[in-house]
Amino acid sequence: MDPLILGLIVAVATIVILFSGVAVASGLLIVSAIFLIIFDGVRSLELMPEVLFGKLDNFALLSIPMFILMGASIASTRAGADLYEALHRWLTKVPGGLVISNLGACGLFAAMSGSSPATCAAIGKMGIPEMRKRNYPDEVATGSIAAGGTLGILIPPSVTMIVYGVATETSIGRLFLAGVIPGLLLVGLFMAWSIYSTWKSGSGDALQAQVYTWREKFEVLPRVVPFLLVIVGVLYALYGGVATPSETAAVGALLCLLLAVVIYRMTNLGQLWTMLRDSTKESVMILFIIGAAGVFSYMLSSLFITQAIAEWIGTLDVNRWVLMLYVNIFLLVAGFFLPPVAVILMAAPVLMPIILGAGFDPYWFAVVLTINMEIGLISPPVGLNLYVINGIAPEIPLKTILKGSLPYVGCMVVAILILCIFPGLATWLPDTLMGTAVK
Amino acid sequence: MNQVILLVTAVSRAVGVIAALMIVLAVAITCQMIFLRYFLNESTVWQTEVVIYLMIGATLLGLPYVQTLKGHVNVDLLPIMLPPKARKMLLVTALAAGAVVLSIMTYYGGEIAHLAFTRNWTSDTVTAVPLWIPYISMPLGFGLFTLQLIADMLELIATPADKIIVEVGGH
Repeated sequence: MDPLILGLIVAVATIVILFSGVAVASGLLIVSAIFLIIFDGVRSLELMPEVLFGKLDNFALLSIPMFILMGASIASTRAGADLYEALHRWLTKVPGGLVISNLGACGLFAAMSGSSPATCAAIGKMGIPEMRKRNYPDEVATGSIAAGGTLGILIPPSVTMIVYGVATETSIGRLFLAGVIPGLLLVGLFMAWSIYSTWKSGSGDALQAQVYTWREKFEVLPRVVPFLLVIVGVLYALYGGVATPSETAAVGALLCLLLAVVIYRMTNLGQLWTMLRDSTKESVMILFIIGAAGVFSYMLSSLFITQAIAEWIGTLDVNRWVLMLYVNIFLLVAGFFLPPVAVILMAAPVLMPIILGAGFDPYWFAVVLTINMEIGLISPPVGLNLYVINGIAPEIPLKTILKGSLPYVGCMVVAILILCIFPGLATWLPDTLMGTAVK
Repeated sequence: MNQVILLVTAVSRAVGVIAALMIVLAVAITCQMIFLRYFLNESTVWQTEVVIYLMIGATLLGLPYVQTLKGHVNVDLLPIMLPPKARKMLLVTALAAGAVVLSIMTYYGGEIAHLAFTRNWTSDTVTAVPLWIPYISMPLGFGLFTLQLIADMLELIATPADKIIVEVGGH
């Protein structure tokens, strides 16, 4: 059979099986097993566990459980609320200081945690009730946090970027740096929209500054400074040449655990276990998808599907930006249904040759891809952040949260357009700090 | 039957605790490695390999536990839209298919671990770790995961179709 037609059949089968409600990783294994049996015979199955094991046998992947543990130990403390409180007290003179503080806290928290839902929950628990008390519209209060939470996967450290780095064999340190300026750009766009829409909805009063004394400003610092030091320390270790991302993540995890216990007095064994359990759950889930996706791409290439698609794309004569538009639409649709990690792992082997062939920078593309995944996190049907917000503010209907999040999706689309016009926003920082990438 | 389900779940939990501790141990060893290398200027030999195996072990042994926590992400759009009876059938089929493919993984994973043991395979590093040790996590993890999937399936079959709750938010 023509590998291209076979590829189409595999794609349809994968969609059907993943939509049946089976776990994503198991689903990938099921699809792989079916096609391997049909085309390579039953004996070819014996390689499946070996391929899965081999895929996980990678030191770079170690950074995933470590960064998750680091984020989880912070998320289980009051650190998120303190961060937001500190920013709020220091940004008193700024109009709309409250929503700006919330978004800023999301950005900072994202710098300690690689996870979107964790960022959402940590800041939103305090931030949403506070914004509503100060008469911000519900749409802005919930939408800004849902959107701010998605920064978790763009601002380093980011689990999504690590997975991209492993899947495409690009430098994780460089990917992290590529996300910084676009992350700040998104924060800026989110802030601008929040203030504008609050003002437009007639709740302009909410934007008025609140006054805090210097004493109040300083008393909150001891609770946030240690965490800011950890961020600086982690960044220094990453880029100062002290350690690899995995090693840095381990030190970050240890430091955050210590801070949680020492500063936030998290000495209760039950609490510690809950934190450890949640981070184990997330790590295992992600690593299993990575292993299973390894089996899936092994199946694709042993049936010559990957190669055929790459060849076919090579013969296509389309404008590179039209191609990029198609790629974006594909990513967006995939991101609506699948978790970012699964989209990256399944799409990377097929998309990478296309992206490089069309002359796009793989680090720039990582940022565009991640923003697409962020959109999926705040869009129906499975936008996880929407449900996280719904969980921490159950009195606000899901419809309002959804309506509030939509304009922020618009901000993200604008950010993608800006990145297409000025690709340097993603590539300048890594190029400046680490030298131009070898392509 | 209920007792079998409870037993499987209890074993999954116990193994899950071991998996969580393996991650903590990996953090500790990695930090020790960095300390030796950058502060005492000593070379490190076994650490990198051991932490990778700990991570793989934690992942595979953690599979059944994460299943008890319903932590393996899925796309539950179709199951939510279906009427109760069809939904139940679809979910039971999905679990059964998962159990089938994981039993295949268990079988062949066991074969590799067995080969590694009988032929004394070691990793090709200075440490020369006997490979059956990391490989044994495949039949153990996949095997217990298969049992947990079967236990979940049996429980689902025993649940009336209109009482099945599908949690929203599949990411």
